[in-house]
Amino acid sequence: MDNLQRYVSQFRGRVVLLLLANNIIILADWWLADVVFRLVGWWLLLALVAIPLLSLTILPWISTRYLTQPTKLLWQAILHIAPDAANVPAPNLQKSNLGRDLITNLVAHVYQLANISDNIEQFSNSKPAKRNLANEFVANSLPLPLVVLAADQTICFSNEALQHYIGRAKDDLLGQSMYSVMDMSFTNEQTFDAWLAHAKANTVTAAQTWERVRLILPDSKKTLLFDLAAYYNRNNPDGFETMLVLFDHTKQYSQDEQAMSFLALAVHELRTPLTLLRGYVEAFEEELGGSLDAEQTDFMHKMNAAAQQLAAFVNNILNVARVEDDQLVLKLHEEQWPEVVRDAVADIALRAKVRGIDISVEFADNLPSVGVDRVSIDEVIINLIDNAIKYSGDSKHISVKAYLTQDNMVETTVTDTGVGIPENNVGNLFEKFYRDHHNRAQIGGTGLGLYLSKAIITAHGGHIWVRSKLGEGSTFGFTVQPYVRLAEEQKTGDNKDIVRSAHGWIKNHSMYRR
Amino acid sequence: MQPSDSNNPLPPTTPPVASSFAAPAPTGKKILCIEDEHFISELYARALTRSGYDVTVEVDGLRGLKLAQTNQFDIILLDLMIPTMTGTEVLRRLRNAAETPKLKAKIIITTNLEQREDVRAAIEHQADGYIVKAEITPHELVDFLNKLT
Repeated sequence: MDNLQRYVSQFRGRVVLLLLANNIIILADWWLADVVFRLVGWWLLLALVAIPLLSLTILPWISTRYLTQPTKLLWQAILHIAPDAANVPAPNLQKSNLGRDLITNLVAHVYQLANISDNIEQFSNSKPAKRNLANEFVANSLPLPLVVLAADQTICFSNEALQHYIGRAKDDLLGQSMYSVMDMSFTNEQTFDAWLAHAKANTVTAAQTWERVRLILPDSKKTLLFDLAAYYNRNNPDGFETMLVLFDHTKQYSQDEQAMSFLALAVHELRTPLTLLRGYVEAFEEELGGSLDAEQTDFMHKMNAAAQQLAAFVNNILNVARVEDDQLVLKLHEEQWPEVVRDAVADIALRAKVRGIDISVEFADNLPSVGVDRVSIDEVIINLIDNAIKYSGDSKHISVKAYLTQDNMVETTVTDTGVGIPENNVGNLFEKFYRDHHNRAQIGGTGLGLYLSKAIITAHGGHIWVRSKLGEGSTFGFTVQPYVRLAEEQKTGDNKDIVRSAHGWIKNHSMYRR
Repeated sequence: MQPSDSNNPLPPTTPPVASSFAAPAPTGKKILCIEDEHFISELYARALTRSGYDVTVEVDGLRGLKLAQTNQFDIILLDLMIPTMTGTEVLRRLRNAAETPKLKAKIIITTNLEQREDVRAAIEHQADGYIVKAEITPHELVDFLNKLT
């Protein structure tokens, strides 16, 4: 404030001096005019009138220039560091006559505010310094974390948002290898490293973006999730070779990761105890196998069959959800039909056995290989046999047959001689949750199996049907396509592995399960 | 006719008899089982140990990853829903050559999750198998692993 006081009194002194000078000039002029008028006459008097007018023009001009000089210097200092102003040079403070102390002080403050230098003497007028200043100004104003790497992948600049984002100080980051500070994980092989290596080898400039990049902070163990944008420029004059900007989505992406549908969760929770149940039943049999009598062995099989049935039911729920969610992609492979059917029958044989039911399987000799998605077609066969078991009544036999139809489709039937279905209900059987009223009281089930089977068969390009008579039993049948016909249908692409999209998705990868 | 299960690689119809466990195949292969459900890992470890495998159980994702990076295993059984780090992330890091340079182990996902995203992620990161635990018994798992190599 001393500077300011001194400036004010200096200013006041200069103004008084100027006014005084002006008054003296005018008084002198009047005095001179009086003398000259008496001695010479009117013509010279006119010239003397011009003198005060001239002084009124020149003195304010000089005084304004002089008195506004401090303001100009300050203004120049601000423009000099402003990022968007054109080349304004740094102010020369030595030129300042009025209030030099105050201006020097104020300009130093301005530069300190802009982070250039603690000491105004260090500040130079050179261009790079000014550009760095502008860079830093922009970078620190950017509300996005930004980090710049030199050619050796060490950090040569980070902005305040980045320092805040990863919780590290500026000096702590400068000169560090990026990998020691930011060990990022990417969702696939197209990583930042791979991109940078490629860019360095092949291009001068390159740009790339990544989604869902993950960074685990070593100190806090906090996981950050963000999108990343990078720009590479081999010829950057300041050695700022690679620039990375991070777009934080931690909240959103971690919510996505946790968001599991209620169904998936329910299925998972059902399956865990089921896994244990099956495991312990097996362990029991293994420990006690030799010492169990026939009835105990039978109980054990029933327990096992019940667990298998529940596992199959859980699969049905999941698959129905997939059908409704429009997620079905079948991978149709060439398969030998008798082998497929025999394997599926083997899977359900224990369930039949514990109910005292036997299953016969019969194949025509002329069956061509078929194009099916093994896992989902298994579920169809198992669902149909499971149904036959449930509705078999007193009958203890189920017959499975496969043959070639007249229009060259491979048809398979599952026949029981059990309770049968009233004719007027037959049409509704393939609807979801439909169960025959007639039998509902005696037989459990959800009515999902046939609905799902129809969806799977339709997706295979086949047809599913039922024939039934009350009290005489039922026959369910379905067709699948010979592989040759499928391959003709889809001449393009890889015939060994035909992908068929329909409505739903069923586990379909060759590595899947067995 | 009783169906023949001769074509079925994993016959569930014939419950294993005690004698099949009496003489374990002397594989001596090292298995890392990353599984947080204690009873499941107990059942798996029991069946695998009896078949001559050398089983290590780890319940935590991050520790499991470190273990797999510092020791050589022949097979890694990897659950997806595990603490600290998801199984998918563990798989991704194990398949990342920069991070896990000398991985020899076959990685089998053993889970009860079957969301499309889970299976797709496992395929993308080159899992060697995807097993739904509820669909197989410990003995069937052993059979599956015996056939792996």
